Amino acid sequence: MSWRNELLAVWAVTLRNALMSARNVFFFFELLFWPIVGILSIGLMSRFLELSEAQASFVLVGTIALSVVNVCQLEVAYAVLLDVWSKSLKHQFLAPIGIRHLTLGSWIVGMVRSLAVFVLLAALGRWAFGFHVLQPGWLALGTFLLGCFLTAWVVGVAVCALITLFGNRAEAFAWASVNLVLVLAGIYYPISVLPDSMAAVARALPLTYFLDAYRAHYGFESEFRAPAATGLALSALYAALAHWAFLAAIQRARRTGLLLKMSE
Amino acid sequence: MTRMVSSLSMLAIDAQDVEKTFRSGWMRRRETVALRGVSLTVARGAIVGVLGPNGAGKTTLLSILATLLTPDRGRVTVLGLDVVRDASALRRRLNMVSGRPSFLWSLRVAEIVAFYGRLYGLSGRALRRRVDSLIELTELEPYRRVPYSELSTGLKQRVALAKSLVNEPELLFLDEPTLGLDPDVAVRVRAHIARLRREQGITIVLTTHYMREADELCDEIAFIKAGRILARGTSGELKRQIRLGEVIALKLDPARVPWLAESPGVLRCVEVDGWVECTVDEAEKRLPELLRALHAEGVVIRNVQVREPELEEVFVELAK
Repeated sequence: MSWRNELLAVWAVTLRNALMSARNVFFFFELLFWPIVGILSIGLMSRFLELSEAQASFVLVGTIALSVVNVCQLEVAYAVLLDVWSKSLKHQFLAPIGIRHLTLGSWIVGMVRSLAVFVLLAALGRWAFGFHVLQPGWLALGTFLLGCFLTAWVVGVAVCALITLFGNRAEAFAWASVNLVLVLAGIYYPISVLPDSMAAVARALPLTYFLDAYRAHYGFESEFRAPAATGLALSALYAALAHWAFLAAIQRARRTGLLLKMSE
Repeated sequence: MTRMVSSLSMLAIDAQDVEKTFRSGWMRRRETVALRGVSLTVARGAIVGVLGPNGAGKTTLLSILATLLTPDRGRVTVLGLDVVRDASALRRRLNMVSGRPSFLWSLRVAEIVAFYGRLYGLSGRALRRRVDSLIELTELEPYRRVPYSELSTGLKQRVALAKSLVNEPELLFLDEPTLGLDPDVAVRVRAHIARLRREQGITIVLTTHYMREADELCDEIAFIKAGRILARGTSGELKRQIRLGEVIALKLDPARVPWLAESPGVLRCVEVDGWVECTVDEAEKRLPELLRALHAEGVVIRNVQVREPELEEVFVELAK
């Protein structure tokens, strides 16, 4: 393994995903349309319900997290989805490419795209609703964004594993999975309002801790001790598990012939 | 069927007793046996054709050799490496072209070749040089900035060929490389394949449905049916193995002579485009006898040709 070849393979995937994104009008909608619709509708709803400034910040943090995680997670899933759609999967896996190159390369593009979404939503939130993302400080904001990116990475890799395991049938999961995570992680509410069983699941999600840590700076008491560290530890654990699952799924696809079935 | 090769290091492929079964349906109970103990050796620098009817196991065999599928049983060594254990290292040294290639639709021709080039460790000037030379080689210069989705079938095939050469492979698998191509493009692709072996010494394994292609390109042909290799050899050896005899083609007046098929040594007679084609056991012996008999019956002989049976006839015979 040479570091030069490793970086080149990651760069190849990064460049490929970036080119595909730039040329697809559908990606433009992902990047702008839905995030803007999301923050405007939630922001206006909070105004209608006459939420306090802190409460409005609470739900707007959730809205921004939803868009950032969603955009980044989809990009990671595109590592496999683009090839499944164009039936070129076998060419990709005939080349000396590892899942680390695929997931890292697409994650880099995902982070750039979701960072653009974040900047846009932060500006819109400030202008329309007086919501200030930098109020908690740069470090807290950086940790929150890193948490969103890591969550997106884990979910995206898990989606890649499912698609490689079940083929096109799992594609719907790519669009739906992240919403399930966000609902459980307490996107618009503290997880203490969830039923016990669901709250237990929520405590196993890294995003729960990153949302909690960031919201604490807006005047909400933290529900956890050291939430950022816990979120990072959980992210590392799940990232390793998701990559192992993806690797196992590819090995299985080579055994069952699914890799060929999903190609031309 | 194993062919003895003087030294193992001279082998590009050494596959022994390879078995593969696909399982599908509820609880994966439905089984399709694709390969039943296939053995195949290919010498370095050779072009070997794998022929057989649809569903015979050709693509499955190629996919196992190319590390895209893992075998259920058997031992497969390619370029001295185990296809399962050493798959990652092996992938750097081989490549493949499929009959219906497909790449990311929005990427342009040069971008596709460059993407794969980077995966094989090329960058900067070396990458640009390789992309340029492959685009020139496959006559894709006018299309280098055209998105893949806008290319014709023939052009897509040429992109696949360019991509397959980006890592200067030692072993190239060509799965129906001229499928769906116009005849003139197919001729150029065949010429290019022959040149690859001649100039770069690449070992090539190809599957095809075009017998002329196999006859023209391959040093050896393996005929596979129902997951087994039934026959193997040069085109001439196969024709002799199958004992198809030789063909005496006659242009006669009158055109139809019913008793010809009953003559001694004649295996069968068919009419093709005004010719009567008689397959005989031994042309040298039967030709004078037939000519004498025709002359005695007052049949005018306008033209005579003697030829070996076509590979296509071998294929039809073996596929029965």
